[in-house]
Amino acid sequence: MIEALMSLAAFDKAAPTASSAAASLLQRTAPPVASAGPADFGSVMAQLAAGTSQSLKAGEAAAIAGIQGKATAQQVVEAVMSAEQSLQTAIAIRDKVVNAYLELSRMAI
Amino acid sequence: MSGVYLFDLASRQVQYLAVRQAAIAGNIANANTPGYQARDTVPFAQVLSRVGLGMATTSANHLTSQAAPVEAVPLRNSDGWDVLETGSAVRMEQELMKAGEINREHNLNTAVVKSFHRMLLASVRGA
Amino acid sequence: MIDPLKLSGRLAGAGLEAQSLRLRVVAENIANAQSTAAEAGGDPYSRKTITFRSEIDRLTGAASVRTREIGKDESPFRVEHDPGNPAADKDGNVKMPNVNVLVEMADMREANRSYEANLQMIKQTRSMVASIIDLLRS
Repeated sequence: MIEALMSLAAFDKAAPTASSAAASLLQRTAPPVASAGPADFGSVMAQLAAGTSQSLKAGEAAAIAGIQGKATAQQVVEAVMSAEQSLQTAIAIRDKVVNAYLELSRMAI
Repeated sequence: MSGVYLFDLASRQVQYLAVRQAAIAGNIANANTPGYQARDTVPFAQVLSRVGLGMATTSANHLTSQAAPVEAVPLRNSDGWDVLETGSAVRMEQELMKAGEINREHNLNTAVVKSFHRMLLASVRGA
Repeated sequence: MIDPLKLSGRLAGAGLEAQSLRLRVVAENIANAQSTAAEAGGDPYSRKTITFRSEIDRLTGAASVRTREIGKDESPFRVEHDPGNPAADKDGNVKMPNVNVLVEMADMREANRSYEANLQMIKQTRSMVASIIDLLRS
């Protein structure tokens, strides 16, 4: 189990340049709560989901405002790009978690 | 360097360029208006130093993070070249030169943003 | 907060309209450069002038341009001696319009240049908005 979780964090250490960008995305998608320390994995996932859905909602609101003519093109494009980035990050993490779980389930007991 | 800083900076520059474009368009439209004073924005570097661009991570909700430090960049009177009596021709060239600058900077900005956005998505997908 | 790019489009459009009106006035002057009076001894075509004024938009401080007035040039008419002309007075003098075609042509060239410059601003504004939107396309 610990190895599986480590493999999830391994992509963070494997490619430093890519990870710094991805880490910043992660930071943006899941805004860290004030209480640091050994964060519960479940709460990290929950934060991620909340951040992603917030970003998506903002993107949608911006797109609606843009269509109504209330927002500038720049605002719409930025909100949509940010939503896209958050969503991609969440999907990548979800895939990692699912793969880790499958690996776990394959472990001979 | 975190990519988030780049997007924030580029966003401010696009906003700045849009305001400057409006100023230059106003100048060109009023090239033959008697008593009209040409206007321009302060340089972008000055805008940045004034607002104090921090490196803090921005919130996912970009609409609000833009509304707060929005530089209603004040258009000040341009201290351009000496204007002769028949001088609208001189000013026109100056304004068109500025318009060319704006165009170049804007193209570079959107190209850079597009490229970094794609790179970011690719890196997340790869990881 | 108004969109600055939308504003530039509007300003350049107003400039385009102003220059286009100016071109029309010049064309009218040139066309009527030889138009004498209808009745004998009367006044011929009077050169038209156009002046603009800027209109400051309260919210943004941006200055749009409008026509102040299309007025008449008050300079005196040229007088030619042409007894055969229907508009000649009892001395055989005809009053000709106070239009100098060379001046009008120079004015027309300048108006054309300003028109092109405004048009270029419209195109540039449009391309700036298009390239922002293009960020969303892969």
